[in-house]
Amino acid sequence: MSARTYRYIGTRPIRHDGLDKVTGRANYGADFTLPGLLQGVVVRSPHAHARIVSIETQAAEAVPGVKAVITGKDIPETSARLALGAEGAFDLHDIGDNLMAHGKALYEGHAVAAVAATSIDAAREAAKLVRVVYEPLEPVMSIERAIAPDAPILHADMVTKGRPLPGTTGPTNIAGRMELKRGDVDQAFAGADVVVEREFRTSTVHQGYIEPHACVARSGEDGQILVWCSTQGGFIARDFCALILGIDAARIKVIPSEIGGGFGGKIPVYLEPVAIVLSHKAGRPVKMVMSRSEVFRASGPTSGTRIRMKLGAKRDGTIVAAQASLWYEAGAYRGSPSGAGAMCCLASYAIPNFFVEAHDVVVNKPKVAAYRAPGSPMATFATESLVDEVARAIGMDPIELRLKNAVAEGDHAPYGPVYGPIGLKQVLEAARAHPHWSAPLGPSQGRGVACGFWFNAGLSSSATVTLNGDGSAGVVTGNPDIGGTRVAQAMMVAEELGIPVERVRPSVADTDTAGYTDLTGGSRVCYATGMAVIRAAQDIAEQLRSRAATIWNVDRDRVAWEPGRPGRVIALDESPDGSVRPPLTIVELASKMAQTGGPIVGRAAVNAPMAGPGFAAHICDLDVDKETGRSTVARYTAIQDVGKAVHPSFVEGQMQGGAAQGIGWALNEEYIYDADGVMENAGFLDYRMPVASDLPMIDTVLVEVANPLHPYGVRGVGEVPIVPPLAAVANAMRDATGVRFTELPLSPSRVLEGLGTIAKG
Amino acid sequence: MLSIRYEAPRSIAEAIHLLASDPGAHVLAGGTDLLVQFRAGAKQPSAFIDVKRIPDLVGISLDTNGLRLGAATPAAAICEHAELGRLWPGLVEAVHLIGSAQIQGRGSVGGNLCNASPAADTTSALIADRAECVIAGPGGERVVPAERFCTGPGTTILRRDELLVAVVLPRPPARTADAYFRLIPRSEMDIAVAGAGASVTLDASGTCTAARVAVGAVAPTALLVDAAGQALIGTRLDEATLSLAAAAASAAARPISDKRGTAAYRRHVVGVLAKRAIVSAAARARER
Amino acid sequence: MAIVHFSSNLSQYTGGLETVSIEASRVGELLRALEQRFPDLSGHLESVAVAIDGVIYNDATYQSIPPDSEIHLLPPVSGG
Ligand SMILES: Cc1cc2nc3c(=O)[nH]c(=O)nc-3n(C[C@H](O)[C@H](O)[C@H](O)COP(=O)(O)OP(=O)(O)OC[C@H]3O[C@@H](n4cnc5c(N)ncnc54)[C@H](O)[C@@H]3O)c2cc1C
Repeated sequence: MSARTYRYIGTRPIRHDGLDKVTGRANYGADFTLPGLLQGVVVRSPHAHARIVSIETQAAEAVPGVKAVITGKDIPETSARLALGAEGAFDLHDIGDNLMAHGKALYEGHAVAAVAATSIDAAREAAKLVRVVYEPLEPVMSIERAIAPDAPILHADMVTKGRPLPGTTGPTNIAGRMELKRGDVDQAFAGADVVVEREFRTSTVHQGYIEPHACVARSGEDGQILVWCSTQGGFIARDFCALILGIDAARIKVIPSEIGGGFGGKIPVYLEPVAIVLSHKAGRPVKMVMSRSEVFRASGPTSGTRIRMKLGAKRDGTIVAAQASLWYEAGAYRGSPSGAGAMCCLASYAIPNFFVEAHDVVVNKPKVAAYRAPGSPMATFATESLVDEVARAIGMDPIELRLKNAVAEGDHAPYGPVYGPIGLKQVLEAARAHPHWSAPLGPSQGRGVACGFWFNAGLSSSATVTLNGDGSAGVVTGNPDIGGTRVAQAMMVAEELGIPVERVRPSVADTDTAGYTDLTGGSRVCYATGMAVIRAAQDIAEQLRSRAATIWNVDRDRVAWEPGRPGRVIALDESPDGSVRPPLTIVELASKMAQTGGPIVGRAAVNAPMAGPGFAAHICDLDVDKETGRSTVARYTAIQDVGKAVHPSFVEGQMQGGAAQGIGWALNEEYIYDADGVMENAGFLDYRMPVASDLPMIDTVLVEVANPLHPYGVRGVGEVPIVPPLAAVANAMRDATGVRFTELPLSPSRVLEGLGTIAKG
Repeated sequence: MLSIRYEAPRSIAEAIHLLASDPGAHVLAGGTDLLVQFRAGAKQPSAFIDVKRIPDLVGISLDTNGLRLGAATPAAAICEHAELGRLWPGLVEAVHLIGSAQIQGRGSVGGNLCNASPAADTTSALIADRAECVIAGPGGERVVPAERFCTGPGTTILRRDELLVAVVLPRPPARTADAYFRLIPRSEMDIAVAGAGASVTLDASGTCTAARVAVGAVAPTALLVDAAGQALIGTRLDEATLSLAAAAASAAARPISDKRGTAAYRRHVVGVLAKRAIVSAAARARER
Repeated sequence: MAIVHFSSNLSQYTGGLETVSIEASRVGELLRALEQRFPDLSGHLESVAVAIDGVIYNDATYQSIPPDSEIHLLPPVSGG
């Protein structure tokens, strides 16, 4: 496989959707409109935790222009579950209750009612007139409070799933608990030369996708439903709506728009079922668009965490023991990525003895959603900070120490299975060899390094490739294109059929047009959907063989597909008159489609196993102003095993984007709540994501250790890069200041507190 | 249905008449504060009185006495004015910090002052530069020093029917220069957690003969810190003196803890910024 | 015979047993055999992902299990 030479894979063609996107012509969620469109607005709870005593809607309904008002009563309470290879199955009861509170408002911003009207002003005015009587309850805003014996319980029926702590029967706010173990931890710590232990904290952070959630829904008199929306998966959006509302999937068609980022946050539905119910009630199409404030307060950020971790090592750098207690906030409903955190946090190192426990804790914050390598960054922040401590304690270079302990093919992952071919050692060697690692530092600078791991998903995908009469082709899949997957798919068709990428038109289709395809997420599209695309193209090649056999009037097994530019079919035998048959190119065969049997359509579907782990190492230079506590990333390099980079620019873009988000998480991003559990910084002004001028150009190094499960060796690349930055930045801070920071974000005031310059505020 | 009047008067008198006759009317300069507040539902004007068509409010005039800056002059025009950048580099730095290129195409110094955010970037620089505010009202004009213009977060000494027409700055004497520094966690598109402006005059030997220090975002309004300026006069701005001035700036601060920073942090960092502003202003003054 | 490894979360239903040898040629068969042997496991294997010699499958009821494979049962993970 590694010997294969590619014609198109590994090149950098212009993406087909590029011009539309840079000129503003591309249609995103909020761009869609229909005749008679109503505007929908959600009424949201001002309380973080409150019983809903009553809701009166008459005054709202009386506002001129108002066509429908709905409350939780209009969203059925279902017990359905949708298994989709996420952390357990999606609990649709919880998703339905999150769409609109039924009995209790569980976070500030929780939807309690919705209005559709002929104008946005009328809808907003009516929304203000929906009279909700609340009985406020004590908001539970931290893990400490949630697990206190006298804590208010969010869900009266909640018991701990998984492996509960002995004696916790419930009701409880600890929604889940998981253990991972290997060997004898106590004995191993006793035999360690160096033991480091610390408690770490990270804040609730948001994906910060630039495009707010938006949709248009039209529920017809005939019961047929159309939904246009910005989603990470047309099919998952459709199935959520169908199961929550109790409608046949066949009655709902979801047309995914272009998507302005998701990072996991556009897997759940927040507006779509509400818009369907409003449209059904009003008899007109309804559009709903979240404001930025709503996105922060009422979509799905990722968990704030508290992690206690301990590492033990020998003086030669061998890590012999690890112990960790992970506590992740789930938000208002169960389902934090604490289990994934537990599985990821030790995945880079071959540690013979460990014990990890992970807890999923409900608090009165928005229900968390997936966020790029969900769960891994926070727990890895703890591990990689401690690995740095071990390196300092024994006086070993931090990359050497990591290399000494790094996992390789044949080692067992902490979550069980044996690793196949993986590239962590190669990544670390590339990091050590990179000029960045040995470059001199400025006087106020420090350097940190950290590793990261992510699984990379597989799941189900379909693809259709259609050959056109002129020898060009179309490829249709059901994955909204977030990271340049369309051009990658066109490149795969080009590669298999030997036609230029520009002659392949890739499309993202709606749920009536594409075959079932799981979400765009889990770094799976280029791998799993790519696999379906490659097979669908190969299906075309197979059909071309038959067509050539027809033309030559020979048996199909006497012709062969010959990859080339263009791809062609060759005859294995001479013609009866002894002459050599000239090969038939794909272009010639395409022009004879009708005569040889009609249109040529290739299709394939896969349920791919998980792609196999991706590993990364990041190097960060941080410039710290010790008088103000403000820090600037001076230089940053991301090195990653990407399997095979189909389109290197987009792989680099994923690495840079993940690094940028991780740096933001490390330096300034955090949800800030007041004493009542009301979010104070629900906007980009005070939720401080990095802006372009905050970051240097992020250098990238692509290491390619082929994934044997994929014909080109592709493995996922999109999520790993958000894992190392939290610790890479914190380790650089340690290097620059001499102080180990264990709490993120490293905002200027926290840094000065850590340096002892000012008192804790 | 929402209905709002838009007026674009051509004279100060006309603008004052419009303001006087409609208590719900708001002056609109660049709108980069007002329209944001309007969209967020924080302000609900009955009319926008756009003052950008009034010749007296737009423009930069410079003579031997000093500068007259029309209140609604867009920030971009100030940043592009070479002579302003030479005479008041600190003020121009402060103006240049406002938002982005797009924001600077509309936002004005008058708007920055009248919006009366404690964190407004130009206000501390204006105070350090001894700016005065020219105010027009039904009874004629009055002039107040910049440090007295804002009275609290979002409030100024302007009466409802008054208009800020211009700010005037005296021409800096020989070996005088200014500087402005702010602290934001990011590099741009953020609101000052603390800010400090300084103007320093040196004699030929390098001794400080006059100085003003002003701080922002650490009290309900930007503050002139007399004690910090006084500490510098008669010294050669040695380290000990600078620390005294920094301590004076910190002592003058009456900050709050909020989402943008803790009180302790603001108190400390405003001293650091004051010191940096003094050092930078003095270095510039030496070059004159 | 495949060797099945239980996570700590599952071994609470196997009487603490961490590995077991099971004769099964396909995943579905294996899961049924496990439930038969450890009745407390039933209900806890519905959404597990199954790793066969390091390759992790979801919904792999009919995936064949080569002899002497190493099997791990995992909570499914997809991602963002
Ligand atoms: C993205 C963004 C970034 C920003 N960044 C910064 C920043 O870094 N630093 C900073 O200080 N500010 C910043 N701002 C705030 C704003 O841009 C500035 O305060 C700007 O100077 C306001 O000027 P304007 O002309 O747009 O004022 P407007 O919005 O037109 O007016 C502001 C207020 O002043 C009143 N007003 C305006 N002119 C007069 C007048 N002549 N007489 C009487 N009343 C008047 C208005 O009625 C209104 O209440 C930012 C704003 C945005 C949107």
